[in-house]
Amino acid sequence: MTIMHHPSDTTLAAFAAGTLDEARALVVASHLSGCPQCRGAVRTFESVGGALLDAAAPAGMSAGALDRAMAKLDRSEAVPPPRLDLAAAEALPGPLSHYAMGPWRWLGRGVEWRAVDVPSDDAVRVFMLKAKPGTKLPKHRHTGTEWTCVFQGAFRHQLGRYGAGDFDEADESVEHDPVVEEGETCICLVALQGSIELRGFFGRLLQPLVRI
Amino acid sequence: MRDNGDAAANDAAQWIRAIAARADRAAFAALFQFYAPRIKAVLMRAGATAEAAEDLAQETLLAVWRKARLYDPRRAGASAWIFTIARNLRIDRLRQDQRAKLAAIYDTMEPETPERPDDIFDGSERDGRVRAALAELPEEQVRVVQLSFVEGRAHGDIAKLLNLPLGTVKSRLRLAMNRLRNLLGEPT
Repeated sequence: MTIMHHPSDTTLAAFAAGTLDEARALVVASHLSGCPQCRGAVRTFESVGGALLDAAAPAGMSAGALDRAMAKLDRSEAVPPPRLDLAAAEALPGPLSHYAMGPWRWLGRGVEWRAVDVPSDDAVRVFMLKAKPGTKLPKHRHTGTEWTCVFQGAFRHQLGRYGAGDFDEADESVEHDPVVEEGETCICLVALQGSIELRGFFGRLLQPLVRI
Repeated sequence: MRDNGDAAANDAAQWIRAIAARADRAAFAALFQFYAPRIKAVLMRAGATAEAAEDLAQETLLAVWRKARLYDPRRAGASAWIFTIARNLRIDRLRQDQRAKLAAIYDTMEPETPERPDDIFDGSERDGRVRAALAELPEEQVRVVQLSFVEGRAHGDIAKLLNLPLGTVKSRLRLAMNRLRNLLGEPT
């Protein structure tokens, strides 16, 4: 699998800084788990954080702070390495294995979705989307950002082909009508801010259904 | 700024190794004295009360003690690793919702299988290059990187604080990021 589309540097930096909301961070992390190049970039940005932390002017600590910390050391157990429940992960990217998911539901012709239970403060909803090969999704635009990580299969729209591992960072300026490639069912993870505005006849028919 | 930071970063890796190897309390004290006041300062600048900031600084150092054996210098320099621990604890602390698992996301984005190096640099090499690159960035870019990265502020927040249009904040950040990655010779 060759990844062609990556999150922007600003997005990777925000992820490293810990300023992305959980919904978007999850989609970014799903991409990262398959993309060594972007993991390298995140490490670089984390290294920037470390360098600036080293350079920060220290604040005064309250009296006895070190002693209080030292007194807690003996009660601090070593942390075992994080482990993934691989059976539960069902071959999904590691980060997604932490979340509860709803049942697959029919959304429209050839398309199913399931909700991913991610708290978000920015009205961003996360869901998985499953579309049959050859499915044409209605032309639509967004009122906010729509970030997508492809797990399987591929779709195409005006900005290129998005296959397994690819990351699509669409904002409100993008209007597109993705088509799922022939071959494999396309499965992706989406963080959607705001709502989707569907265009065209088919779109208007579907509009009541997209209250995902 | 660089001399101080570089020296501490070199020692910090040794202190962490000493904690991992023999639960070295003197090494812990040294790490605490360098990092706790800095973590506290950064959190206070980001709006935390002195008490909350000190709490989180202490928690970070205690987590360093517990996680010392997990520290992998191939992946990250010592200060970068401590930064990520503080970041994750801050995220955890800020969460309102019990379902939130954001901190866990950061721990499981690495594939478990063969730990081959993901990148061309090991941790200390990367740190050295990042420090050199930072020293060459214009002050105004370093400032937005600092507010965004270390203090964890949203872009809109930074715009208000510096009295700049949001677009300017974003473009300065983008310039700084590109510059850093170019200087590191990484493909963008």
